[in-house]
Amino acid sequence: MPGQPDLDSLRSPDLRAEYAYAHIMKDRLTVLRYIARKIVGWFLMIAIATNLTYFLANAFLKPASNYTALRPPRTPAQINRSLALYNLNPNKPITDRWWHWISQIVTHFDWGQSPTGGSVNDQVAYRIFVSGQLVLGSTILSIVIGVGLGVYTASRQYKASDRVLQGFSVLSFNTPSAVASLGVVFAAIALNQALGSTLLPVAGAQSPDVSGFWSVFGSRATHAILPTISLTFISYAGYHLLQRSLLLDHINSDYVRTARAKGLTRKQAIYRHGLRTSIIPVATQVAFAMPALFTGAVITETVFAWHGMGEYFTKTISTNDVHGVVAVAAFGALMTAIGAILADLAVVALDPRIRVS
Amino acid sequence: MIEQRAVTTPLDTQQPLLSVRDLRVAFPSEAGRVEAVRGVSFDLHRGKTLGIVGESGSGKSVTSMAVMGLLPDYAAITGEITLGGRNLLDLDDRQMSKVRGRQIGMIFQDPLSSLTPIFTIGDQIAEALQIHQDISAAAAAKRAVELLDLVGIPNPDRRAKGFPHEFSGGMRQRAVIAMSIANDPDLIIADEPTTALDVTVQAQILDVLKTAQRETGAAVIMITHDLGVVAGSADDVMVMYAGKPVEHAGVDELFARPRMPYTIGLMGAIPRLDDRARDALTPVPGTPPLLVDLPDACPFAARCPVVQDACRETEPPLLAVTGSDGDGHSAACRRAAEIEDGAIGGEPIYPVPALRENRVAAVPREDRPKVLELSGVTKTFPLTKGGLLKRKVGTVFAVNGIDLDIREGETLGLVGESGCGKTTTLLEIMGLKPPEQGSIAVCGQDTADLKRKQDISSVRRNMQMVFQDPMGALDPRMTVFDILAEPLRAVGERNSKVLAGKVAELMELVGLDPEHRDRFPAAFSGGQRQRIGIARALATRPQLLVLDEPVSALDVSVQAGVINLLNELKAELGLSYLFVAHDLSVVSHISDRVAVMYLGRIVEVGTTDAVFDNPRHPYTKALLSAIPLPDPVAERTRERVLLKGDLPNPTDDRPGCRFVTRCPLHLTLSEPQKERCRGVTPQLTEREERDHQDACHFADTPVSVDH
Repeated sequence: MPGQPDLDSLRSPDLRAEYAYAHIMKDRLTVLRYIARKIVGWFLMIAIATNLTYFLANAFLKPASNYTALRPPRTPAQINRSLALYNLNPNKPITDRWWHWISQIVTHFDWGQSPTGGSVNDQVAYRIFVSGQLVLGSTILSIVIGVGLGVYTASRQYKASDRVLQGFSVLSFNTPSAVASLGVVFAAIALNQALGSTLLPVAGAQSPDVSGFWSVFGSRATHAILPTISLTFISYAGYHLLQRSLLLDHINSDYVRTARAKGLTRKQAIYRHGLRTSIIPVATQVAFAMPALFTGAVITETVFAWHGMGEYFTKTISTNDVHGVVAVAAFGALMTAIGAILADLAVVALDPRIRVS
Repeated sequence: MIEQRAVTTPLDTQQPLLSVRDLRVAFPSEAGRVEAVRGVSFDLHRGKTLGIVGESGSGKSVTSMAVMGLLPDYAAITGEITLGGRNLLDLDDRQMSKVRGRQIGMIFQDPLSSLTPIFTIGDQIAEALQIHQDISAAAAAKRAVELLDLVGIPNPDRRAKGFPHEFSGGMRQRAVIAMSIANDPDLIIADEPTTALDVTVQAQILDVLKTAQRETGAAVIMITHDLGVVAGSADDVMVMYAGKPVEHAGVDELFARPRMPYTIGLMGAIPRLDDRARDALTPVPGTPPLLVDLPDACPFAARCPVVQDACRETEPPLLAVTGSDGDGHSAACRRAAEIEDGAIGGEPIYPVPALRENRVAAVPREDRPKVLELSGVTKTFPLTKGGLLKRKVGTVFAVNGIDLDIREGETLGLVGESGCGKTTTLLEIMGLKPPEQGSIAVCGQDTADLKRKQDISSVRRNMQMVFQDPMGALDPRMTVFDILAEPLRAVGERNSKVLAGKVAELMELVGLDPEHRDRFPAAFSGGQRQRIGIARALATRPQLLVLDEPVSALDVSVQAGVINLLNELKAELGLSYLFVAHDLSVVSHISDRVAVMYLGRIVEVGTTDAVFDNPRHPYTKALLSAIPLPDPVAERTRERVLLKGDLPNPTDDRPGCRFVTRCPLHLTLSEPQKERCRGVTPQLTEREERDHQDACHFADTPVSVDH
């Protein structure tokens, strides 16, 4: 193979270093190729998962139930005719329905309709935006607060501040989402009543009566405050406890001591040498938590009356919305893939050794 | 001459660079307040080297960490550490960080873990520069390359871009030295800088350290347990015991006229290459005291053979020894003045234990049966590449056709640098399976013939193993009785009376009190644990013991006792040993024959006297000359054969000598001779002496750097 070094020449450490050096020069290309390979793999995974969900959903969900309670009652033939409009007719062979469904996605990126005719694409597009608004803010806050507290408490291990903050985090870690959300709501209501005006709105993603870019933006921002607080409250502690224990493994390591011996203060040595090595597993964790956050904020969305992906997830199941369920599953798989690729990129960015080997 | 000195020397040579006064360090612990350092005082002048010697727990590392200001917050530190007119103990972490790296550089013990894995070597050195100097990143990177060049790293500009995991241990230690001298410090503290390294690399690193000291003119504190390292590098030596200096003198004075029984004990306990005529080592009995609630008495009293009642009444201070001709010799011993040449009134303080006569040795070697025979044993590992579909891209020849034999009642020492295939050889022998190539025979039984389970276990009874780490090799949840009874039960002994009797017998045999049979391993000291490990190996009455670095984890004073025990057991039970060690002094003391391994092949084998007195292979010569001798005069005068570089990877099986890349002899040869080295594999050949073979084409050619 051309370019393959003769192994005998690798016997000397010098030549090995030379080889490694050449590798670093090629690393950008290597990373790109690596990511491309990952994307192809994940794409296949998403396709398989989505198709499997399609067959499972068709086997278990009965879209006809949406019509059985209607008055005047419809005959099964009428119901099937209605369902046939949305490619949900149970009398049509599943393979034919699947072929129609998949060709619509491939040719028009049309994910189908709900049993009552609503477009899945419209719902998902709108809800991703709502969920993103809810999740991104709280995720970033959780990471910043969690990692920050982890570093702060790790460098003050067993001191009063460490014990107090850790106790608080254990408490918040174990608080059910509903309790946290309702607690935040009650506190906000009390605050609003004390102030005599609605400083912090407790329901909805925006006020219905605003218009104009800046007013909508402001309304959305104020509406997002409370759900973000409650989501952050329940999710930051995981990062805090993880970062604390990882950093503690590194704080007393020989190389942090070497860094101090070079002339760094304890704090600088921890930040420059201990933190970067210990944050790699946290980055992986964050990336993989993303999909769960998007569809997992069901309770928070319910309490604050936000119509996000979490709510859609439960709603599509309860309404026997086959196409909606499949779209949610596909979305979850896509987020997992993005999370995994982000995790890989984060590790490559943080740990230069990966690029060499 | 005195006048001249006063004129030419700068003022600060009279004023010590570093002055430590009554340094005390204590740590809280569950057992109570541990007084790790209990009053250390010394002065260190510019350009001088102070060696601090002591066993583990003597407080030598804690002293150095206190100077660096790297002790944890909960350590209680009192006293005075004055560097350049400032008391370092008054400074907080921020102020101290200006001193660390700038005025004091430090080198740590374990180079494998002391560099940050995710930054390049060059960046880490550049960081050390940029912390203290206002220079651009490009200038710092350039200077880092120069520093790497200074400490002898080849192709420094390329290597600076490498990560620590691409460097060997010796290379990493060079990088750490480069880092420590980056800002031209006044003081370099080296805490066991070579303990984790091979002996040939140790010699290189000590050399680099001397270069670094010469370049910077710094004072050095050399902390070590190895008296040989101290003898070769220190001007002054301070011996520490139980957190206190017990003797302090110039290096020549200390080695020539030690005054403190502990120092004398340490010197008697180390096996020496230059004094192999000694029959037995003199171990120091007992173990160091726990540093919690120490009574006001000499801490060494419990282990001292010349202790008097008055020693237990009050702790002796470190006082100048009267009647000594060297100036500045002080010792913390009431009887220091009486001690002369390791003896009081002509009686040696440590009587040399009588060595038992080895009955088996009376029979000529040829007439004794072979207990182990290896012929042409080869073990390879495939070298693969790729993630999912592994392609074989090469073969590592870990052991490449070695021949060995051990006869009844003799000890074969197997020596070589790490990575040379010693451990693989042991594993091949202990596995009792036919090797890839060649054959292994244990007590006359070829392993290829061992098919049935009973056959294998009967051979296994005859061959037992003692491991390096005495703690890791013993199950912490089993009592000593259970540990020793287990192999007996495994060979079918069920009667509890017989078991109890045999266990007691075994414990007595290795010098343990049978009363302690119900204790757990944690209750024993390192040396005692290794004795338990030996007793366990002896339980099945084997003929051959395979010892893998059995004393390298032990302190010097304890190590001597274990070596003596092994020698006694050999004489008493007619055992044979396969003794694997990297410490050639230990091997020279215990072995009858020695085999030197290099890259999977044996390059020299013969009787210990022949190999050590008349080494023929250039590699053996280099190995022997790399060992530091605990004798400052000899250390200064002898010439070293310094090997360049590290052990290459054994990935090819082409003909030719494997030592060619590092061989000092090879460089002096003519071109056709060199061609022969590269093209023809040298075979083990017997020359003038009987039972002394070497694998070098030109072993008779004298080398200019020979010592």
